[in-house]
Amino acid sequence: MVAVDSTPAVATGGDGDVIEVSDLGIRFKRNKRAKRSFKDLFAGRRRRSRPDEFWALRNVTFGIRAGEAIGVVGRNGQGKSTLLKLIAGVLFPDEGTVRVRQGVAPLIEITGGFVDDLSVRDNVYLTAGLHGMTKKQIDAKFDEIVSFAEIPGFLDTPYKHLSSGMKVRIAFSVITQLDEPILIVDEVLAVGDKAFREKCYGRIEELLAAGRTLFFVSHSERDLRRFCTRGLYLKKGELVMDGPIDDVIDRYNTDYNMGSVPPVVDA
Amino acid sequence: MTSSTVVRPAQRTPFARYRHSLWLLTKRDLSVRYTTNALGYVWSILDPLLMSLIYFFVFVVVMNRGGTAGEQPYIVYLMAGLLAWTWFNNTITDATRVFSKEAKLVRSVKLPQSLWVARIVLSKGIEYVASLAVLAIFALIFHAPVTWSVLWFPVGLVLQAILLYGLGMIVAPLTVFYKDLERAIRLLLRVLFYASAVLYSPAKWPEAVHGFPIRPLLELNPLTGILGLYRAAFWPQELNLFHVLISAIGALVLLGIGTLVFRRSVPAVLKEM
Repeated sequence: MVAVDSTPAVATGGDGDVIEVSDLGIRFKRNKRAKRSFKDLFAGRRRRSRPDEFWALRNVTFGIRAGEAIGVVGRNGQGKSTLLKLIAGVLFPDEGTVRVRQGVAPLIEITGGFVDDLSVRDNVYLTAGLHGMTKKQIDAKFDEIVSFAEIPGFLDTPYKHLSSGMKVRIAFSVITQLDEPILIVDEVLAVGDKAFREKCYGRIEELLAAGRTLFFVSHSERDLRRFCTRGLYLKKGELVMDGPIDDVIDRYNTDYNMGSVPPVVDA
Repeated sequence: MTSSTVVRPAQRTPFARYRHSLWLLTKRDLSVRYTTNALGYVWSILDPLLMSLIYFFVFVVVMNRGGTAGEQPYIVYLMAGLLAWTWFNNTITDATRVFSKEAKLVRSVKLPQSLWVARIVLSKGIEYVASLAVLAIFALIFHAPVTWSVLWFPVGLVLQAILLYGLGMIVAPLTVFYKDLERAIRLLLRVLFYASAVLYSPAKWPEAVHGFPIRPLLELNPLTGILGLYRAAFWPQELNLFHVLISAIGALVLLGIGTLVFRRSVPAVLKEM
């Protein structure tokens, strides 16, 4: 096993932080089919501690300033996606707090809001609307959204008839047009053809240049180095390193490429 | 931050966003229903219509009890009950699977979770109101004059909406943890259907059966007063203020319990997504 020398995370608390995570902890059931009792459900949050649960994240503290580009590094099942979901507000922590002071455009399961039976046009209005845009704002951006996705002839086609690449393209296009100051990206870029992927990268760089805050999860070293300046290294649900992205990636590589067998993923 | 006058989504008030999202999801439900089936509207009324005809056949034609089961014309009486029951039944049934059906959206969009329940209540409620046209047509054909008590109708709508919202907030999260509950609720709904005065007038309830005080028990059903409020439109004597009071208290109590259950269980629900 690799020795875990948990460098205490540097908390950069203060007024400049747009994302402030302190003592964050969340636990999941190890066995989804585990029996539940009604008592379990209504027992207070704190009193509940069961042997069949594990902490997906614990004691995670960090702060992110506006305009920073953060890359989250870690093996599968070490809490990266969970952290993203907590920041996106689609999960709630069991311990600690997550404060997000600005709007978030989450590129997490981006096709989630799309309805198969509705037309592409209706879907754009629905998804952008659910993410908080008004009809007028969508009207103003509609052409841009459609032209970025490169599907001009399919506006009135039912969404289910699009190819899977088209589906991702239109979804990506909608979310990145949200105009929110914080962008959360969860490996969605792995899909789509090469040309479009490059286009997505271009779009993200454009947003970064415009001063957006980026929170990025990826296994691609290249992508991480390309977009991010600061890295968070998660291991077994703990934040073991918080520093410049190159240092974090180096540390990650040392941990996993230097002889010792990587720990079995337990989540 | 920016000097532009455009208000970013996050800068709108939570209430405005909630209303906006609720309306979007409701519209989505309705348009999915009406664009995927050519007979969209017909489907939403076919079930209560067919059931009305079946019960009419059984009670009036076969058993010849139409004169005593409820008010006259009995077919209108039946429909007035069944249309409202359809709203109730469909909302609760949908609430039992809303989180599994919408899992992708729940996982990817940050929305107040109570929206998922509110939107079912609203879209089914709109379908109910739209289906009232059929009731009006039947009332015309069978000469059921509308009285001034029709003014109680909106009170019934509001009470039923509150009741459904409260129940939905109990049912929706619990079915995520206990899959069996989905079936159990379907059975309970069937029991409730016969226990509510849908097919007959609550005046028919006996005081007691073999010494068991059945009537007070049945009167606790908050649906009874609500059905009375609707039926008062044609038969003012159907309005029972005592039942309405029970409905109002019941709806508010369930709303309170629902809010509590929902708030307590949502973090765990999200983990199961």
